[in-house]
Amino acid sequence: MLETRPTDVDGGAVERGLLRQGVRYALGLRLVVVALSSVVSLLLTDAPRPGVTVAIVIGLNAWNVCYARGKAKIWVPADVAVMCALCLTQLWTVNSDPRGGGTWVLVAMAITVVTYAWLMPWPALAVATTLILVAHYAGTRIADPGGWLVNEAVEIWTAAEVALSWALYRFVRRSARAADRIVERGEELRRTAAVAAARRADEREYLAALHDTASVTLLMIGNGVVAKREPWLAEQARRDLREIGRSDAAHPGELDLIELLREVAGHTPLRVSWQAPDSLRLPAVDAVSLSRGAREALTNIVRHAGVDQAQISVRHDPATVTVEIVDRGRGFDPGVVAAGHYGVTGSLKERMARRGGSAAIRSSPGRGTTVTLSVPSAVPEVAGDERVIAASFERGLRRAVVVTVLAVLVLLDLPHLLTGGDAYTQRGVQFGVWLSLAAITLVATRYRARWVLVALVLACSVIATATVRPEYRLGPAHWSEGDAGWPIVLILLDSPVALFATVLIGQYLLTFGQAALGGQAALSVAGVVNATWLVLAFQLAIVMIAAVLRGLSVSSARVLRAAAQLRTSEEVAQHLHRDRESRYADLDTSAVPLLEGLADGRLDPGDAAVRRDCAAEATRMRRLLTEDATEPDLLARELRACIELAERDGIAVSFADYGARPELPPSARRRLTEPVIAALATARGKVRLTVAGTGDAVTVSVIAACAEPAELPDGDGVRRSTVLDGDRWWIKAAWQEAA
Amino acid sequence: MISAVLVDDHPVVHAGVRAWCALADPPIEVVAWGPDVSVAWLDPGSAADVVVLDLQLDVTGPAYGDLKRLVDAGRQVVVYSMRADRETVLTCLDIGAFTYLTKAEGEDHLVAAITAAASGAPYTPPALSGAFGTDDRPHRPRLSPRETEVLLEWFHSESKEMVARRLHLTVHRVNSCLERVRVKYANVGRAAPTKAALVARALQDGLVTTDDL
Repeated sequence: MLETRPTDVDGGAVERGLLRQGVRYALGLRLVVVALSSVVSLLLTDAPRPGVTVAIVIGLNAWNVCYARGKAKIWVPADVAVMCALCLTQLWTVNSDPRGGGTWVLVAMAITVVTYAWLMPWPALAVATTLILVAHYAGTRIADPGGWLVNEAVEIWTAAEVALSWALYRFVRRSARAADRIVERGEELRRTAAVAAARRADEREYLAALHDTASVTLLMIGNGVVAKREPWLAEQARRDLREIGRSDAAHPGELDLIELLREVAGHTPLRVSWQAPDSLRLPAVDAVSLSRGAREALTNIVRHAGVDQAQISVRHDPATVTVEIVDRGRGFDPGVVAAGHYGVTGSLKERMARRGGSAAIRSSPGRGTTVTLSVPSAVPEVAGDERVIAASFERGLRRAVVVTVLAVLVLLDLPHLLTGGDAYTQRGVQFGVWLSLAAITLVATRYRARWVLVALVLACSVIATATVRPEYRLGPAHWSEGDAGWPIVLILLDSPVALFATVLIGQYLLTFGQAALGGQAALSVAGVVNATWLVLAFQLAIVMIAAVLRGLSVSSARVLRAAAQLRTSEEVAQHLHRDRESRYADLDTSAVPLLEGLADGRLDPGDAAVRRDCAAEATRMRRLLTEDATEPDLLARELRACIELAERDGIAVSFADYGARPELPPSARRRLTEPVIAALATARGKVRLTVAGTGDAVTVSVIAACAEPAELPDGDGVRRSTVLDGDRWWIKAAWQEAA
Repeated sequence: MISAVLVDDHPVVHAGVRAWCALADPPIEVVAWGPDVSVAWLDPGSAADVVVLDLQLDVTGPAYGDLKRLVDAGRQVVVYSMRADRETVLTCLDIGAFTYLTKAEGEDHLVAAITAAASGAPYTPPALSGAFGTDDRPHRPRLSPRETEVLLEWFHSESKEMVARRLHLTVHRVNSCLERVRVKYANVGRAAPTKAALVARALQDGLVTTDDL
């Protein structure tokens, strides 16, 4: 189960995920680096007190395991104390060796403080780093006063590494926050859209249902087609009432597929055998699509198969819902029968494809026909969030790595270059390589010609090593060993970890090979391992962080989506419930009492008064129902207000509104509505009110048995005309846009 | 005797249509009735002269596919629907429906529409006329100003006598004008056998010339 509730950590799902993963990752990295470095040193070098050293190595690694598994944040003070103790006991654990490079204690100390950035806020980080660095410096002075071990530059560089690591942490965390914000905004938009869509769909469904039920019942009774009380009319009225009052908000927009299929099958003369669950609720659109498809298949069996039985089976698995309709009838050759003749082939496929489903028809003469209809049962997932989050992470990480690479080149390598004059055969070339690496770094931020750039870096590495005197190779003056790997980190940041590790290690081996060919080098094997390991671990760590972040973006997106879906469905249900209540209230005082009277037989459909009421209510409902289709402009709204007033006086107004019309000036609008108001005020019986828009002209027409319309002057582009037909006046007001 | 099949899931509609058809002159027999379109494909509905089709609007939208298949099989379809919006009306006509009636127009126009459909003569009730007269789609047929005028007046008034008086025409001229427009509509958009038949007949009767189309 994914965690969807907020935890004690502030921030969104992506940021929370990042912090959780980051801590786990930092501790794991430290565990592996310290274990490898300490064990290699134990095996390859002598310690002043081997027994104590073995005990310390075992103890330290055990502590790291416990620390990585436990609640790291609580144990931070204890951890700092352990590290200080490790640093202060160097007199027992490390030898002073000019060719030793970094010691395993240095590696352990450095990786620990570097990973602290993920475990504590920056003031604590500063205190812990200072304490451990001071302890380390003191430890080297105790172990080797004035000797090779004491090196202020190492302490300063470690402090700088901590700062870089912290910067990396900040960059990545900030990008997590940015991702959270972007995703949240997107999610909000999607939710709003989903709620609106659900409301529209529900409204449509509801109105469609009313169109086909209550509204038609009242219209036809108003037309006088039912002469007396009929049981089927009462039954229909009861059905209409159920439709109006329907408020099963628990399953908004869902229908029972099996119920629909049974209904469809019931309308054919076929004997159908079933292989289906008792009930299967699906989104209404899917259920209706499937049942319509099934209906077509069954109709075709009756028409063409020459049998009177069929089999329907319904299967439901996590991915799809499948309905299969099988007959053992005549069958046909799908390749021969024209699509138009056997409606099933073309139309079914078309219908199912619209819903992302499919229809397959297997048949051959004499072998019967099998029609298989299916729709995907899960809503397709939105894939955008992963990309948003991943892109945000990559941007943050890339910036952090650029800062790191430039810091390494400027703060670490440049001083070596400037001070190590006699270590190089050609110092100019060294400077050239240094500048090239800086340039490649900057280019890599913009262009992704990765293999060209990697080749350039490797060439730089080879040239730099070739111009270092053999006896200085792999020592501090050989700055390009290891640090040439940094641009590779940047270039291959978004590559798979294995590919990256291969290239990076290849770069190291290339340098080692060159050094080995040149003979004696500056460091011992253990020294090389420790010195290399520290840098390599940091570089590998960054690329692994990138990989972890890519995975994280997927899981974060999933968490967000689950939370968003929950919120969306809650909101949809709420809105639908409210919508339905308000719609019911609209009909409660008018249509409902009529239908109730028809349902329980109190009202006689043959009675003229009942017919008149039904006709008026049908007209009113029809108008209410068409209102949904268009966003009414001011003219329509004013006219509707007039109609509502007239309806209260028992006048049935049939209203029709066709065509697009421009926004009217207020004075013209008034002149168009005035005759309507006047006519409706004195009208009796039925009124026809129509509006037609033809681009640059709008005509409002009213036909009613009413008082003679008053003479009104034309103006504002509106012309009026009247015709008397029997007792009915036809009054037309037409507005024409001034040319 | 003209026979019709009614596709509508509402018993009151069925009662109404049957009542109107029984009183019609000449009488119309409603040979079958059912809540979905299969009734028009199965006996005895499959042999009926005219299909009266409710669009059965539901969550998947109007049943255009059902209409299309009936039209392609050469059936004369009178769409009889609660929907009155221009888009739906014009789409049905484009598919090849013989005519389009809103349910509110049924009492006055359904019998006449079925009779016209059985004989293949164009029939344009007021709502359809309003949809034609305000049609602003790019592929609409070219209408003369007089034709548009007649369409709109007929839509507004629902009375051909009033249209004739107002525009100083004869009722006969009003009718032939409406028929001409209907034929022009049959001549554009999707190809369908029913539309082609309408155009061919109008050319034969001299109602329109090839220049009009």
